Amino acid sequence: MWRVWLFPLAVLGIAVALSLPAGRYLTWIMDGRYRPPGWLAWLERRFDTGPQNVRQYLLALLVFNTLMFVVAFGVLALQPWLPLNPDNKGMLGPTTIFHTAISFFTNNSLQHYAGEQHLSYFSQLGAIVWSMFLSGGVGLCALAAIIRGLRGDLHLGNFYLDLWRAVAYALLPASLIGALLFMAAGVPMTFEGVASATPRSGAESPDGEPAVAQRIARGPVAALVPVKNLASVGGGFFGANSAHPFENPTAATNFLTCLLILLFPCAVVVMFGRMLGRPRQALVIYVVMLALLAGMTGWAIYWDTLHPNPGLMAHAARTDVVVVATADGKTSGRPVALAAWADLPVNQSLGNLEGKELRFGTSGGSTFAAVTTAVACGSVNCMHDSLNPLAGLSPFVGMWVNCVFGGKGIGLINLLIFLVVGLFLTGLMVGRTPEYLGKKLEAREMKLAMIALLVHPVLILVPTGLFAARDWGTKATSNPAAHGFAQILYEFSSSSAGNGSGFEGLHDTWGFNDIDPDSPPAPYSQQWDIATGLVMILGRFLPILAAIALAAGLAAKQATPFTIGTLRTDTVTFGFVLLGTILLLGALLFLPAAVLGPVAEHLGPLPFGG
Amino acid sequence: MSAHIRASLLLLVATLVICCVLYPLVLWGIGQTVFHNKAEGSLIDKEGKPTDDPTRAVGSRLIGQPFTGDEYFQPRPSATTPAYNAAASGASNWAASNYRLRDRVARLLGPIVRYGRGAEKDGKKPGDLVAPDIEAWFQKGKYQGKPGIVKQWAEMHSGLAEDWVKSTGDAVKEQWNTKDPVEAFLAQWRKDLPELYAKWQAEKTAKAEPTAADLAGPFFAILSAAYPGYWPVVAEEKTPAGKTVKKLDRAKDGTDVQSAFFDMWRQEHPDVSLEQVPADMVMASGSGLDPHITLENARYQLKYRVADAQAEKLVKLHVERTIKAQGDAGQVDEAGRKKIEEQVRGKLDAQVGKPLAQKVREVLEALLNEKQEAPLGGLVGVPLVNVLEVNLAMNDRMQRLIDAGK
Repeated sequence: MWRVWLFPLAVLGIAVALSLPAGRYLTWIMDGRYRPPGWLAWLERRFDTGPQNVRQYLLALLVFNTLMFVVAFGVLALQPWLPLNPDNKGMLGPTTIFHTAISFFTNNSLQHYAGEQHLSYFSQLGAIVWSMFLSGGVGLCALAAIIRGLRGDLHLGNFYLDLWRAVAYALLPASLIGALLFMAAGVPMTFEGVASATPRSGAESPDGEPAVAQRIARGPVAALVPVKNLASVGGGFFGANSAHPFENPTAATNFLTCLLILLFPCAVVVMFGRMLGRPRQALVIYVVMLALLAGMTGWAIYWDTLHPNPGLMAHAARTDVVVVATADGKTSGRPVALAAWADLPVNQSLGNLEGKELRFGTSGGSTFAAVTTAVACGSVNCMHDSLNPLAGLSPFVGMWVNCVFGGKGIGLINLLIFLVVGLFLTGLMVGRTPEYLGKKLEAREMKLAMIALLVHPVLILVPTGLFAARDWGTKATSNPAAHGFAQILYEFSSSSAGNGSGFEGLHDTWGFNDIDPDSPPAPYSQQWDIATGLVMILGRFLPILAAIALAAGLAAKQATPFTIGTLRTDTVTFGFVLLGTILLLGALLFLPAAVLGPVAEHLGPLPFGG
Repeated sequence: MSAHIRASLLLLVATLVICCVLYPLVLWGIGQTVFHNKAEGSLIDKEGKPTDDPTRAVGSRLIGQPFTGDEYFQPRPSATTPAYNAAASGASNWAASNYRLRDRVARLLGPIVRYGRGAEKDGKKPGDLVAPDIEAWFQKGKYQGKPGIVKQWAEMHSGLAEDWVKSTGDAVKEQWNTKDPVEAFLAQWRKDLPELYAKWQAEKTAKAEPTAADLAGPFFAILSAAYPGYWPVVAEEKTPAGKTVKKLDRAKDGTDVQSAFFDMWRQEHPDVSLEQVPADMVMASGSGLDPHITLENARYQLKYRVADAQAEKLVKLHVERTIKAQGDAGQVDEAGRKKIEEQVRGKLDAQVGKPLAQKVREVLEALLNEKQEAPLGGLVGVPLVNVLEVNLAMNDRMQRLIDAGK
């Protein structure tokens, strides 16, 4: 029993402890307080196009992101003709290329392909790893620009220099250290192709056919694994992501992976306080985020590790009342009798083991599931589709509020939007114009905040409704009824939240352009590629643009003097206001969808149908 | 704008060189020199020692393998196709509410599950297999008091019935030279169960080109009515020409029946005490490649299967040796072989000082205890064993047991 809680406690505790020095370091580099040696200073001067105002900064961000898309698309589209392709991976389907390029330059990493089956090593390094470094850096730049706006700088800094600092001084050294630890634990780093190992007798089929060699996919895995976690990207080298023994070979690497996922998202909150020079402001935010993360992790562990898989359990006979509409516009109850259901004799004392790896320990899977979705990372070490129904709510909530540390930089930006809305609500209650850090929040700020806030639910719920109403969705799900709906909902939640994990049973893979008749493309994969691709772009850039514009607008305002009537944003009370705003808005926006998905699955008959 | 483009391109080139060339090269250099075996995928040879030569490798220490023999420890179920496909990892992704998950578990349980403590009150002996009772119950052909158990199965589980038609079609499609499993199934049905096929033709209301879903219902209904207490199976038979062909047959017992009908049997016997099976025996992993099973699972397999099978294997080996030593391998008849086997058993038991199976069990119990490992030294999880490593070491231990007997 204590083993179940030791792992999450250690992960959260050590991540918090590491975030303090890491936040200090990030401040040091993003504020440019370091003194680079001569050649590096020369290189930096080449990137530095001078101080940028909000329009120039956003233009630079968009120009560079466009280039990233072009490069990733080009590398993937030229895969058959590029080197480092020992297993001769062929041409990918056009929508797969489109979707994958978008997925990685937006820091999302939703994968409608399986790395070891579809990508060459060149594509893994040139398109995927590179996009991971850069898109992770872009999030940090956006946050740095917003902080500069909030503290009233005359300009927002220089995007190119910011991006260079984030990539070269933060992500790269951390990845290097991480990769060495991963390699020491057994993560491969090779350019050799698939290994064919001839298994022992006994591994052969029982009817005495000759033993078939086990083909073991490998590659430069260690280069990808640390950066996918550090940069909150999460797209795996292998289809099974961090559940694959080559990406995550031991309990120790699983622990390390959780730390890497949390490190920078936690550290940026510390950076926020230090760059602003107002540590108490950051402390309130940090504590609110930590409380939410602890709650989500505890929830996932409680429902998934401390409860057996309900599909194998006994259920008593019961009568449900289904509400039906009658002809005269009223409703009436129709009783539906469910017969008693016997259990299967399985010892589930370790919780729900479907989709879990044993080597991570008892709560290794459920803890990871909560952490990776709170932080918009999207690595998975257990299959979220097979989580117990209510445990599946934890990832959903993480993606819906998308501000519990959130993606590197982006999560804090989302939290600031919630904060602005919270201030507005409390301002209405006390009848004062709300202020943040001494700047008045007025109509323009609220409009931008509402854009940033509402983009997310619109991008999730509208396409979910569309797909759930058509064959595109219903023919693509692999689980029945409520859980099928949850699969569609998860895919769009993950797309909009920049997460990239999935209820992976969804049939959304096109794969190679030359269709293999034995594994044909999923029938509606093109619709999925295009729809989630568009959602990923809009869900990534609209909130960033709106938030930077909001911060820049605040920067230009006169500071109002601090009075006795000012609503303080660095107090315990305000912490509760913030928590309440997040929970209330999150619930209002997503509760109906949650009820149709995971909650209905939990309450409905298990298993459902045959 | 040109300043933007110049800076963008420069940054792009610089980061491409650093992140995609220098960074992986440094890692590759360190990996190849310091962690060479690990960097190449932790391949091991048949002694369980690290090797860098894929042709000598029997697998990777980190990747599970599909052991199916009774005399080996078997890994968790794997959702990849085929099982433990290390070139295409993957999971079932089945939700708790998906009946396929429960069905997989029930099918795995059917042939192995045993009566548990307290089964005496139902007149059963704890430790006995349930499988024979499932078969006897199935042969009565009734479920919940109503006849037509197979028909009821297909009605309750239309998805599984459809899967059955498809997988049967897949199994025979080669001998019908088609890629369409439904077409192959129809052809096979017509050939092997013509009377049922004719019945279906007569009452056929379906379309000209039926899908697997269209076929499943009528097929099982007709079969159920014509042969109550029988289950359709794909059997193999030798043609006079010596070729093996697959045919559609019916069976009233066997593992297919035990597997498919365990869940329904359980519904009618909900209160009978059954021994619980460790969950990792029946639940698939996230990667489909999990190299571990729990120690509890390994002990369960040892107790009910592995020790006896290994002892049998050992006896068989010695019998072969004895016959060979006598130099008249071709002339030993069935009775002679039995006699030799008897002698070998006696000799081996005397040699180890106790019944051979018991000795094997002790040796392997010690092996499991020696090979067990727990995540982070037991801080975060229960003891596990690596299936491939334990199986390789077991070969070695058994070899030693044989050598000691020489």
